[in-house]
Amino acid sequence: MDISFRWLSDYIAHGRSPDELAHALTMGGLEVESVTPRGPASEGVVIGHVNTVRAHPDADKLVLCDVDVGSNGPLQIVCGAPNVEAGQRVPVATVGTTLRMPDGDTRVPFTLEEVELRGEASQGMICSAHELELSDDHEGILVLPDDAPVGTPLADYLATQGLALTDYVLDIAITPNRPDAVSHIGVARDVAALTQHAVRRPDVDYPREDSDAPPFTVAVEAPDACPRYVGLRVTGITVEESPDWLKQRLTAVGLRPRNAVVDVTNYVMYECGQPLHAFDYDRLRGPAIRVRQAEGGESFTTLDHVARDVPAGTLLICDADKPVALAGIMGGANSEVTDSTTDLLIESAYFDPVTIRKAAKALQLATDSSYRFERGVDADGQVWAAFRAAALITELAGGTIDPDGFVDAHPRPQEPLILNLRVARVAHLLGTALPADTLTQILSALGFRVAAAGEGVLRCEVPLFRPDVRQEVDLIEEVARIYGYDQIPTPGHTRIPTHTPQALPSTMLRAQARTVLTGTGYREAFTNSMLRKETAERFNQPPLGGAKAGATVETLNPISREMAALRPTLLPGLLDVLQFNHNHGQEALHFFELGHVFRQDADGGSVVSGYAEHEALLVASSGPVGTTAWDQTPRSADVFDVKGVIEALLQELRVPDVAMTAVYEPTDVTQHHLTITAQGAPIGMIATLTADLTAAYDLEQEVCIAELDWAAIVALAAPHLERRPTPVQRYPVVERDLAVVVDAATPAGAMLDVIRATGAPLLKAADVFDVYQGEGIPEGQKSLAFTLRLGADRTLTDAEVDAQMEAIVKALRSTFDAELRR
Amino acid sequence: MLDRIDELRDELTDVSLNTLEEAEDFRITYLGQRSGIITNLFKKIGQVAPEDRPTVGKQLNALKQRAEAIHQEARDRLEREDEAEPPNVDLTLPGRTPRVGSVHPLAQTLRDITRLFERFGFSVAEGPEIEDDWHNFTALNFPPEHPARDMQDTFFVEPPEGPRNGVVLRTHTSPVQIRVLENTAPPVRIIAPGRVYRNEAISYKSFCLFHQVEGLYVDEGVTLGDLKQMLRTFAEAFFGDDVQMRFRPSYFPFTEPSAEVDIWWADPEHPDGGRWMEILGSGMVHPNVLDAVGVDPERYTGYAFGMGVERIAMLRYGIDDIRTFYENDVRFLQQF
Repeated sequence: MDISFRWLSDYIAHGRSPDELAHALTMGGLEVESVTPRGPASEGVVIGHVNTVRAHPDADKLVLCDVDVGSNGPLQIVCGAPNVEAGQRVPVATVGTTLRMPDGDTRVPFTLEEVELRGEASQGMICSAHELELSDDHEGILVLPDDAPVGTPLADYLATQGLALTDYVLDIAITPNRPDAVSHIGVARDVAALTQHAVRRPDVDYPREDSDAPPFTVAVEAPDACPRYVGLRVTGITVEESPDWLKQRLTAVGLRPRNAVVDVTNYVMYECGQPLHAFDYDRLRGPAIRVRQAEGGESFTTLDHVARDVPAGTLLICDADKPVALAGIMGGANSEVTDSTTDLLIESAYFDPVTIRKAAKALQLATDSSYRFERGVDADGQVWAAFRAAALITELAGGTIDPDGFVDAHPRPQEPLILNLRVARVAHLLGTALPADTLTQILSALGFRVAAAGEGVLRCEVPLFRPDVRQEVDLIEEVARIYGYDQIPTPGHTRIPTHTPQALPSTMLRAQARTVLTGTGYREAFTNSMLRKETAERFNQPPLGGAKAGATVETLNPISREMAALRPTLLPGLLDVLQFNHNHGQEALHFFELGHVFRQDADGGSVVSGYAEHEALLVASSGPVGTTAWDQTPRSADVFDVKGVIEALLQELRVPDVAMTAVYEPTDVTQHHLTITAQGAPIGMIATLTADLTAAYDLEQEVCIAELDWAAIVALAAPHLERRPTPVQRYPVVERDLAVVVDAATPAGAMLDVIRATGAPLLKAADVFDVYQGEGIPEGQKSLAFTLRLGADRTLTDAEVDAQMEAIVKALRSTFDAELRR
Repeated sequence: MLDRIDELRDELTDVSLNTLEEAEDFRITYLGQRSGIITNLFKKIGQVAPEDRPTVGKQLNALKQRAEAIHQEARDRLEREDEAEPPNVDLTLPGRTPRVGSVHPLAQTLRDITRLFERFGFSVAEGPEIEDDWHNFTALNFPPEHPARDMQDTFFVEPPEGPRNGVVLRTHTSPVQIRVLENTAPPVRIIAPGRVYRNEAISYKSFCLFHQVEGLYVDEGVTLGDLKQMLRTFAEAFFGDDVQMRFRPSYFPFTEPSAEVDIWWADPEHPDGGRWMEILGSGMVHPNVLDAVGVDPERYTGYAFGMGVERIAMLRYGIDDIRTFYENDVRFLQQF
C-alpha cells in the first residue's frame, strides 16, 4: 500500500526523513519495500516578479523579461509564453536548476544554463505548470497570486497553500494481520509508538445519537453479515472537480481523481481505513436502504458498467426496489453520483470479513474497499468517517449535512476484548525481561487501554481497530515489535540435546547414491514436477506405469496446460534435459535425478489417502561413455552401461536378493527392458527407449534409462547401512576358466544362475568374460567363456576343484545342452 | 712373468671404458677365451718355475678378477646410462580422462544447510508433497477464509469446497512440523528439507516450485533470543562471520511473534552500495499450533523457521535467475 510522506505528516510530527521513517517502520513490522520521490526536484525554483517585458530585437515570438527574484538584481530571461505580462508573479527556474522536462510521454532531466537566444542572454526560465509537473496545463506560464512572496522558494510557498511540490511515496507491504495499518492514520499510529510522538486525528463534529426522524429508513436484514450500517445525508451540493491539493494526494497514492464527492470518499478511506460509498440520494427508491444477502440468480450492474451475476450469499445494499451496491465491494451504476447530483447518502458500514471475502472471490472482483473489509475495519470508526467525509464534501462541493439525516443501525455492537498480559510470560517468550512500565507505555501508544490487574498482570483492552489481537501472545508480539527485535539480546550459549541424532537412512543412502553416480560420470538434475497431462499419461504406461499403477494426478488450477499434471515418473523431465543439452552441443548425456513421483491410488495412498507418492531415482544415458582418450574410439552408451551402474549401485547400497528379468516385447516407450526385483518385490526397471521416442526428443544416440523406486530401496537397504564385514579369507583362491558352446539363444544369465547354484558352496564368484560367435563355432551357436573363483576356509585340493568343475559342466550340459569348447 | 703382471696391473688402472663397445673390446682384449692377454698368461703358467707358481697363480687370479670387475662395472654403468636415455613416449599427451559427474547445486546447498543444523542437534524429517488442508493450513493456524491464505498462491489437487476442505501441493515445508508434533512429544528439534509449490508467474525471481528447509525446536524454555542466536549462527556460517543481519517483525499465522531475517548484500551498482535481502521467515510457534497437536503451550515454547534454498543458493553462488537451476545445462552443472 502506498503512503504519502507529506500526507502522513498531517497526523504526526515525527521529525524523520523519508528514509529514516521507512527504516523505523520496517523494523517495527510495517515493511517499506520502496521509497519513491514524486514530483520535480524543486530546488532552484523561486518566485519572481516580472518587472518589465521588452521586445526581442531578433525574434517576433520571443520577449525579454526583467525578473526580480529578490537578490542580485533583476535577471534577463527570454520568454516565449503568450501570457507573460509585466507585474506578474511567476515561478522562475534559476541557472543550475534541474527540471524534468516533458519529452513526448516521458520526462527527461534538463539542467538550466545561462544561454543566448537569438543574441540575447537568458539567465533562467519562467515555467509553466506542466514543466513543474504541477498539472497538465502547458498553455503558457504559471501565474501566481499577487501576494506570492518574491524570492521565496516555490516549494515553500506551495506548502503554505497546502500544495506539495515534492513528496515521497512509501510502499508498505501490509501483512494480513494488520488491517489497522491500511491507512495514513493507521500508519501514523505505529509511527507514534515507534517515535514516542502523538497522533493528531482531525477534529470532526458529530452528534452522540442518530436522528429521531430520519428522511430515509435503514433495515439490516442480515445482521451477522452487516453488524453496523451508518447512513448520512448531505444536501444541496454541486459536484465539481476536486481542488489541486486533493488531486495531488490521491495521485500520490495511485488513485485517479474523479470528482469532489468520489475523491473525498477515497480520501477518507486512505486517511482512516474506513471504506465509504456515496449514493445519489435522489436515485434511491423509498428512500430506503435494505441490507440483505443475495439468493442467487440476480444480475447487477456495478459502476464500472459491467453486468455481474451475483452469487448466492453476496451481501447486497438495496433501496426499496432493487440492489444499489455490492456491499463492501462496489457500488451500482443505478445510484452513482453524477454531475447533476445534489443530495447524497454517505454509507459507512462494518461488513463481516468472511462474507465480503467469499463474495469478492466468487465475483473475482477485488477492490480497495473489499481488501479492507475482508481484513476487518475498525468496528468503531463508522460515524467518524461518515461525518469526516460529509464535512469535507460540504467544504469542497457546498451543501449541508442534513441534521436529521443520520442513521446508525447497529444490530450487533462489538465489545472490546479484554486480555490479561503476564509480565513474566513476556520474559518467558522473548528471553528478556521488560518492566511493566515499558509494556504499559508501548501498548498505550498503540491504542490499548492498560491497567494493572494484580501482581505482575496487566489488563489490556484491545481497541476495535485491532481485530488481529486475540490472545496474550499477540500482545507480546506488539510489545516486542515496538520495543525492537534488535534490542532483544542473543544468549551467548546454546543448549544442545544430550543425544546425537542419527542421520535418516534416506539421507545417508542418497549421499551414497550421489557418490556412486557422480563417480561414474552422471550429473544430477532438478526438473519440474509439473508437466503436460498428455505427457504424464504417455509415460504412465507399462513398464514405467502399468495396469496396477494409478492414474496421473492433476492440479485444478494449473499455471498453464504445460504444467497441468504431476509427474508419474521422472523420465519426461530428464528427457527434456537430454534434449536441451543435446541442442546446446553436448554429446555425452548422462544424468540422474532424485525426486517425488505421483499417482492416484484409489485403494489407499502413501500419506494422504487417495494419492501414491514416493521418491524415485532415474538414471538416463545417451552418447559417448567411458574414458576419453586420444588412443580410444569413443563408444556410445547402451543398456549394459546403465545395467552395470545400477548393479554397482544396488550392490554398494547392499540391496539384498536383487534379480532382473528380461522382457523383449517392445512398448510405446521401450524397445526392451529388464524388471528389477529385490526379495521378490519390484523395485524398478532398466530399458532402452524406442527409436521413435528418442527421435521425438531430437536425440541421435540410443537412450538407456533406469528408474528405481527409491522409497522401496531405502526400506531394503536401511538395515544394511551398518556394515558387518566378514573376516578376509586367508586361504588361496583357485581361478578356473570354462568355455562352453551353446545354442545362440541361450541366456547367459540363466547359465550363470545354474553355475552359481551348482558351484555352491565352493564357488565364490562367477562372471562372463567372453561371448563369441563366428569362425570355429557352428552356425546358430555361440561360445560363452566364464571365469570362476573357488575357495574355502582351507586350501582346496585339485581333486576337490576338479570335482566341482565337473559338476558345473555336467549341470550346464544337462540344462542347456552345453558342450565344453576345446 | 711377475713383471708382466705388474705391467698389466698398471695398464688396467688407466683403462677408461665409455661405451658398451669399448667394454666388449676390453673383455676380448684381456679376457677373451682364445687370445685374451690374461687368458694367455694362464696358458703360460706351466712355464713358470714350480716354486714360483703359487705366487704367480695368486697374482694372476687377482689380475683376472680385477679385469672382470672393471668390465662388469663398466657394463652395469653403461647399461644404466643407456636405459636412462629419453624414452620413446610423449608425456605431454593428455591423460585418459574418466567422466566425472556432478551433484546439483541445490542438492549441495540443501546438504550444507542440513549439516549445519545437524551439528546443533537437529535431525531431519520428511513429508509428502501432496498435502491435506489440515497439515498445510488449518493446523498451522490458517483459518478457513482468512486472508493469510492469500499469502501463498496454492495449487489445488482437490477443491477447498470438497469433502476434505482441499488437497494441495504443499505451499511450504511447515506441514512437516505438524506431522512430527502429532507423533513425537517434546523436546522436538527437527529440520525438514523439501520441495514446495506456489502458483506464481514464472520469472527470473520466482518459479512454480522451489525448495525450503523448515526448522522446529519445541522444548521447555525456548525463547525468541534462542531463535535469534540460532539464525545468526546460520547466517554467519553461510555468509561469513562479518555478515550484517537484521531481524524484523513480520507475520506468519503459525508463529507469534513472527520475524523475517534480512542480510545486507553489497552491490556496487546500487545507489546505497547494497540492499537488504530477505533470507528466511521465522518466529515463536503459535500457541494455537501447539494446541492443535496436543502440546501444552503453557509448558512448552518453541521456535520455527523456514528458508528458501534457491534464494540462499542464488546468493552464495551469485546467480540472478532462479530458472537456471531447473534448466540443467551441463555447462552450468559442471561448475559445481
